[in-house]
Amino acid sequence: MLAMLAGLKNPIMNGLLLGGLYGIVGIGMSMIFGIVRVVNLAHGDLVILAAYLSFVTLSIFKVSPLLSLVLVIPAMFLIGFIIQYYLVNRVLGKDMNPPLLVAFGLSIILQNLLLLIFTPDARALVTNLSIATLRIGNFVNIPVVYLVDFIVSLATIFLLSRFFTKTYLGKAIRAASDDEGAAELMGINAKRIYAWAMAIAGGTAAIAGVLVGMTFTFYPHTGPDYLIIAFGVVIIGGLGSLLGTFLGGLILGLAQILGAHFLGPGFQLISGYVILLVVLAFKPTGLFSKG
Amino acid sequence: MLSSFAKRLYGIAIVALALASLPLWAPRYWVLIVMLFSLNLALAQMWNLLAGYSGLISLGQQAFVGLGGYTLAVFSMYYGFPIWLSILIGGMLSVLFALLISAPIFRMRGVYFAIGTWTVAETLRILFSNWKYVGYGMGLFVKPAYTLSFNTIFYAGLFVGVASVALIYFILRSKLGLGLMAMRDDETSSETLGVDIFRTKLICFVLAAGVTGVASGVLYLQNIFIQPFSAFGIDWTVRLVFITIIGGIGTIEGPIVGSFIYVVLQQWLSEYPSVSLLILGVIAIVVILLAPKGIMGTIQERLGFEILSPRRK
Amino acid sequence: MANSILRVEQIDVHYGDFHALWDVSLVVEEAQVVSIIGANGAGKSTLLNTIAGVKKPSHGTVQFKGNRINGIPPYQAVVEGISMVPEGRRVFPRLTVLENLEIGSYTTKARKRKKEALKKIYELFPVLEERKDQLSITLSGGEQQMLAIGRALMSWPQLILLDEISLGLAPVVIKQIYQKIKQINAEGITALLVEQDIKRSLKAAHKVYIMQSGRISLEGRPESLSQEEIRKAYFGLSDLNVKSEAERDV
Repeated sequence: MLAMLAGLKNPIMNGLLLGGLYGIVGIGMSMIFGIVRVVNLAHGDLVILAAYLSFVTLSIFKVSPLLSLVLVIPAMFLIGFIIQYYLVNRVLGKDMNPPLLVAFGLSIILQNLLLLIFTPDARALVTNLSIATLRIGNFVNIPVVYLVDFIVSLATIFLLSRFFTKTYLGKAIRAASDDEGAAELMGINAKRIYAWAMAIAGGTAAIAGVLVGMTFTFYPHTGPDYLIIAFGVVIIGGLGSLLGTFLGGLILGLAQILGAHFLGPGFQLISGYVILLVVLAFKPTGLFSKG
Repeated sequence: MLSSFAKRLYGIAIVALALASLPLWAPRYWVLIVMLFSLNLALAQMWNLLAGYSGLISLGQQAFVGLGGYTLAVFSMYYGFPIWLSILIGGMLSVLFALLISAPIFRMRGVYFAIGTWTVAETLRILFSNWKYVGYGMGLFVKPAYTLSFNTIFYAGLFVGVASVALIYFILRSKLGLGLMAMRDDETSSETLGVDIFRTKLICFVLAAGVTGVASGVLYLQNIFIQPFSAFGIDWTVRLVFITIIGGIGTIEGPIVGSFIYVVLQQWLSEYPSVSLLILGVIAIVVILLAPKGIMGTIQERLGFEILSPRRK
Repeated sequence: MANSILRVEQIDVHYGDFHALWDVSLVVEEAQVVSIIGANGAGKSTLLNTIAGVKKPSHGTVQFKGNRINGIPPYQAVVEGISMVPEGRRVFPRLTVLENLEIGSYTTKARKRKKEALKKIYELFPVLEERKDQLSITLSGGEQQMLAIGRALMSWPQLILLDEISLGLAPVVIKQIYQKIKQINAEGITALLVEQDIKRSLKAAHKVYIMQSGRISLEGRPESLSQEEIRKAYFGLSDLNVKSEAERDV
């Protein structure tokens, strides 16, 4: 029994750390779902787009992937703003399907654009960090890159929560998400606010993309895999809370790694999906939401 | 003088005859195109039934594509079942699977339904790629399909395509169709009118699953080779969404026009599949932004013209 | 009419096929309190929403300080100096009281004077300062109404539109809120309010408009209108309608 628990130390640790990465993958999607009430089906592709942008930056400047964020974040910020302001805003309304389908179209466009430019070859953002492991005590081996993922995600989520409570823009975004009509009466242009929100979501996708690229290989068609991870995080964590999203990521990461540990590596993704489906069916508002 | 209805019937009959006699006089390439068109039409018409008429945006139709294809492969190859019977069993298993997942899936609404259906299909994709019985990710050859002539597969495809249109036509003119129309106008008030919304949607979901399963069986007679990553891939639904949106969601003619555009574009850019998908994505977004009812929906609105009117006179 | 701050001229407003306002005209003098009264569905809220930019008139003009403003979006109307307290209060439930007020000073101009505005509003409604860190959804109905009014004042408006502010509140609270309106008005802020409570409005206003099925059925200074006239204009009696329309035609 004790030996089994000791054997679980590694998977639990890795699951939690991986969950941190999932949290940052899901956070942008959660924001847009909660604020604009649009399921951004292109979110996974934005993450992968950011990974490719970083890849290009690295091949030009030969810097570390994390440093490439200086360029990738503003670029994704701009892309997010444009997508929302010129495309999604134009189809917002009572019917939730047109924005869903616009995002779907965007997802396919991005994937095939990446395929045309970068070929279907696997890419990675290789650093020294990618292969190093950290040994804690006698039992726990942690890939350093997982630890970096976790810390960067946690820091991002902390900064986001400061942004939402301390700045005018952050408060305006929350106000518009509470009551669009009342916000407009206060001088807030809701449509523009949504574009800012998508820009910020793009910024988080930039961070997620670079971390994903440092941790795993990626292809032009990897976007949907991360979209489903983002779904999982958003659904499990519930809407409207940054912390909930982060916890959702941890649960998903843990479920995957433990699933793989007990059932074999082929079951890593499935255990995540099953948890997602169960939550979808029984508590679609998320585990951490009231009511 | 012929009534306009009779004229229309004659028109449809002539088109049907021309298509049916195609292998007798047309180049083989045309026959192939018409077959691809018919199969895509059948799949798209089913997505249209869900998204356009029942308000169910399913992103998981590939679950039934994969089930239909794998059932054909397993039953005809492993157990020596006749091919057509295997395809029918594929449809039945799709129906069963749809019923099985309907309990949890119908607890999800709107976008949650979209996410849920997709996740179910992804789960199947991973399960099949870890399942020794179906050859893991390597997939299976549908060897018995070699015994069929090209023309036989063509007729099967044509039949499925025409049958899907006829099915939608009759559904819309039935009591079920009246319920769907009422639901589309106003879900809450239609409930008070006695439309059992859950049952109506469930019937559509199950029917769509069955037809999709059968059509995919025929599709894999032509594809010969089935692998979990393509059979259960989201690309199928991407295709159906584009076809239906561009042609006109919620119209019978929409998927017909959309499938035609899709197949032509796909053939024209057959060496650059990603370019054709890129173009389709752009067209779809432009259509949603500028003409949300699609090509046929917009034409009908402007001209008040319908070839296959679902409304009872 | 020397200093009319708001001038609505012959506007028609539609909701799809529904014709909600018919040829409505209204004038509000600077630093006055004007009330619009009428039964449910008479078009009062539609009129306020049109002034605030939420609805666009299909015909006619809205002028504010001499500038035509119909067609501008609500977030622009705030910049012009029109602030609205919407029906049902509509405070932002997941924001704290203080954050609600801060959102009220969202416009660039108002942001610079946020501290000053906050101080004034806390003086006017001390309870808001006591509860500034609470989520606004935890406030009582009356407190939420005070918050909604305070929030609207944060933008330093010249004209404040108040939609059904007494709805669902206890008489004591209503009385208190109307006293505050008086205080606000005394600072030079013009108020246009919509009310179902006839007595309350007549008491508070310098001028009243009575609406009935999308039209203005009567207007005047409260003291110059007889009970009987008001009752007829409010509840609608055909002969009176004909008469008042005939009078306007002259």
